[in-house]
Amino acid sequence: MNHDQIRGRLDEWLDGALSPAESSAASSHIDACVDCRNEVSRLKRLGAALFAAPAPVDPRSTEAFVARVMARVEEDAVSPWERFAARVLAPAFGLALAGLIFTISLPSAAEDDSPLGVAMVDAEAVMGVAP
Amino acid sequence: MNDLEFAELVRLHAPRVRALCAATLGNADEAEDAAQETFLKAHRSLDRFSGGSAIGTWLHRIAVNECLDRLRAAGRRRSDSLDAILEADGNALGAVLSESSPAKALEDRDLAERLLARLNPEQRMALTLKEVQGFTYEEIAEAMDCSLDSVKARIKRARAELLEITRHFSGADGV
Repeated sequence: MNHDQIRGRLDEWLDGALSPAESSAASSHIDACVDCRNEVSRLKRLGAALFAAPAPVDPRSTEAFVARVMARVEEDAVSPWERFAARVLAPAFGLALAGLIFTISLPSAAEDDSPLGVAMVDAEAVMGVAP
Repeated sequence: MNDLEFAELVRLHAPRVRALCAATLGNADEAEDAAQETFLKAHRSLDRFSGGSAIGTWLHRIAVNECLDRLRAAGRRRSDSLDAILEADGNALGAVLSESSPAKALEDRDLAERLLARLNPEQRMALTLKEVQGFTYEEIAEAMDCSLDSVKARIKRARAELLEITRHFSGADGV
């Protein structure tokens, strides 16, 4: 490889992505070429400046993370239909049932001794029967 | 896989997945949420995991996609101009990149984040997987579901763009 070819593949050389033969040829050239050496130095500085080494992982932090994930997994295990049933259908059903019980517990309008029945008889007596 | 086994899987892979999300997204809260979302998606699709690749690779692929989606969304909101960065933080970056001092990380991580945010999401992801996770190009190609040539091109362009930006900070001969 000549200078231009190596200059164009300095990233790959730096990242260990060249074949052993190519890497060896590039290394020899970089040792002897100030321009390529400076470019490698720039690339290394750039990586070091922008990408800080990851902080060591605290095992307690990992355990807390596992707990958070598992809580979300548990929440996620409830299907959308089950959520809908729990949040909408159950209250609606309860309301309907309460309404039904209330209606049944009311005195029947057909019963003769009901106040409404008396009222109807009285109205007929006063207004007469329609022809 | 029952819940206990899945919790063990999370425990085993959480450090690397969280590190990937943190390095890629910058924002700690968003990185944490992305890491959780990664495992949640993995749990939902466990039955579709074919076992064709290592489960760690599969998890990384889910994390990469999650982070790329978030980077794309962030890119649409991004408003930092190069001039604004130059004006505010040019000296700090110039000092860190100067040949006269040893290579070290920028203490101002927000500045590093703003510079990396100027890359397109795919370039940033490929470079992060290389620089932070130490992936080989082949591993990056697998995690990003792209060709080896795409990985090479993305990393090369990412570094070229960052070098070009940093030349603004430290002068034509700098970095």
